[in-house]
Amino acid sequence: MRIALILILFLIFMIPKEACAEDIAALEAQVKQLTQVVYSLKTTVDTQQQEIADLKKTYQIKYQTPTPQPASLATILPPKFTPEIGAVADVVAKLDSSKVDPENVNRVSVRELELVLGSNVDPYSRLDATIAFNDKNEIDLEEAYLTRFGLPFGTTARIGEFLPKIGKMVPVHRDSIDTVDEPFVIQRYFGDEGMHKAGVDLTKVLDLPLPSVHQVTVGVIEGGNGDGGTAFGPARRRPTLYGHLKNYIDITDVTNFELGVSEAVGSNDNDASFKTNVFGVDATLRHTIAQDKEIKLQGETFVLNRRESIDEFDATTNPSGDFWGGYGLFDVRLSSQWGAGFRFDYVEPVDRLLADPNKGEIGYTGYLTFYQSEFARLRAQLSHIYLTNGSIDDRVFLQGTFAIGEHKHKLQ
Amino acid sequence: MFKLKYLIRKSTVITLLSCVALSTVPCHAGENPLKVVATQTMYSSVVKEIGKDRVDVKYVAPPKFNVHFIQPKPTDVRNITKADLYVDAGLDLEAWSDSLLEAAGKPEFFRGREKNVDMSKGIRLLEVPDHQLSRAEGDIHIYGNPHYNMNPENVKIMAENVLEKLKSIDPANASYYEANEKAFISRLNEKITEWKKLCANCAGQEILSYHKDIAYFADFLGLKAEQYIEPKPGIPPTPKHLEFLEEYVKANHIKAIVMPTYYPKDAAEVLAKRVGAKVVTICQNIGELPGTDDIFSFFDYNFNQISEALK
Repeated sequence: MRIALILILFLIFMIPKEACAEDIAALEAQVKQLTQVVYSLKTTVDTQQQEIADLKKTYQIKYQTPTPQPASLATILPPKFTPEIGAVADVVAKLDSSKVDPENVNRVSVRELELVLGSNVDPYSRLDATIAFNDKNEIDLEEAYLTRFGLPFGTTARIGEFLPKIGKMVPVHRDSIDTVDEPFVIQRYFGDEGMHKAGVDLTKVLDLPLPSVHQVTVGVIEGGNGDGGTAFGPARRRPTLYGHLKNYIDITDVTNFELGVSEAVGSNDNDASFKTNVFGVDATLRHTIAQDKEIKLQGETFVLNRRESIDEFDATTNPSGDFWGGYGLFDVRLSSQWGAGFRFDYVEPVDRLLADPNKGEIGYTGYLTFYQSEFARLRAQLSHIYLTNGSIDDRVFLQGTFAIGEHKHKLQ
Repeated sequence: MFKLKYLIRKSTVITLLSCVALSTVPCHAGENPLKVVATQTMYSSVVKEIGKDRVDVKYVAPPKFNVHFIQPKPTDVRNITKADLYVDAGLDLEAWSDSLLEAAGKPEFFRGREKNVDMSKGIRLLEVPDHQLSRAEGDIHIYGNPHYNMNPENVKIMAENVLEKLKSIDPANASYYEANEKAFISRLNEKITEWKKLCANCAGQEILSYHKDIAYFADFLGLKAEQYIEPKPGIPPTPKHLEFLEEYVKANHIKAIVMPTYYPKDAAEVLAKRVGAKVVTICQNIGELPGTDDIFSFFDYNFNQISEALK
């Protein structure tokens, strides 16, 4: 036992003093390091606690103050996939100076009641439909088309029955035009209300390194015209191909200019060898003066070539078989409630040999619009027309346009 | 004539083909900032505060015009076709927004989709209808009053909506956006305290507004706004309604008639003259008047105006 104790004491005294000092220094360093870690952790905890407090505050602002909100219909009723539904009534009173009225047009009529439906079909497409009823108990499917968004190269497609993008006025719905009736060139060449046809078209906004915007549309639609149109033959089996290039530039913040070029190629009749070519140019200048104060100058012209006309209709007076027409429109929005404008029309009807081959139809039209509200509009229009048969016709229109429900206008 | 038409047609086809060919040439190269299109200047300003130089923001509605009745232009369509993110008011304020997105053909920007920021998300809405609606009530909003950008407290929520979306579509810059948002909210909090102090005299007072677009502004300041120059939203004032207002303003000792710049001032000025009130311009949009070009100067202007008028 004694020997063991002596040995232990010997070993203790044999350990060098330097080794003890090193251990103590190492331990001190470790303690320092641990202290730093603790401080660092404390800082982190403090910061996080502050962040939690901030988040709680935000959470309170965002989610915990709904008390004053009354229950909305959306919360009372379960959400449904109801499409947008709207109706637009177009009531027109017309009186003209002609002594005969075989078509019974001088009357007050509900020219049209449009039922407008639309909704997204799925994440990629949307369906729009317009069904028009009139007071002659006729129903017309004006539009029923699917728009497919996000196709390759940034194109958008429409398929179904739609208003083709030929020129400026043809693709516009009647409730969005500035006058009671369409310009004569549209009525005579494409139809009283322009035309709507089944087909498919593709539209793309071109990504050009220019300050201007350029949009191109190409499409193919069934043949034929709208009611009363004469540009193409009646055969629906002969398709019409068309293209439109829209060029737009903002001249200033409040002034812009648009120039469009259109081309449509179709058939005259069942024989596909006869072709009708329609070439159109449209221009629109808009200047916004203030809220609800705007000036618009718009013009559009179409040149129509029907090859068969050389032999059949117009060989002596119109050997080229070309016809043309156009209009110029000056529209002023005077205030939130008043607007006025003037339109000049000229058109050479395709069947003009039946009347006077040397004259086109000329019209001077003035109108005044009262906007009762965003959804109700009254318009008075007076037209002074030189017909191709040499007679003069004065027409007075009174129009009321009323909309209910949801009715979104497409961007033109 | 045939030759001329042939030439015109040929040149049209060549122009079209050239445009399509040119459009395939990339316009930009290298790393670009995120392209954002916002419907209104308030939203574009919030995006700019958070994205700073890493976002390129454009707006649709010019600030000098009523956002209800904007006619989007082809330029807006093109901007959207090139954008990475679309920011709108949600609700039903911008009735033109859906048509604009459809014209641009970008389904990812549609409501509720991955690249759409709905600024109304999380906002405590006022005047939410609790009954069956009818247009007989005027141009009312089915989800509640959509003019929530008039309360600076709501700007904080908008900022968070923007931050969340920016982080999700551009995670590489998430910490940058977070830092900017934090700094922005901090400055906004300071200003809110300052504005509250400035407008301490407004609390409890009643104002007359032209349109029902002042609810959130009034809510922030504790103002009362119960009558409007429009008898129903969107319906211009009638002489009979102005007669009623004359009596009402006198009876309730109303000192200020507030309206943005884009409504006709005639009715308000006539009424103000008759009753001895002031017509005060309260901007609805950033940039509506000179000197209101960012969020802080916009609210500075509005709160100075109302505080001064109600002294």
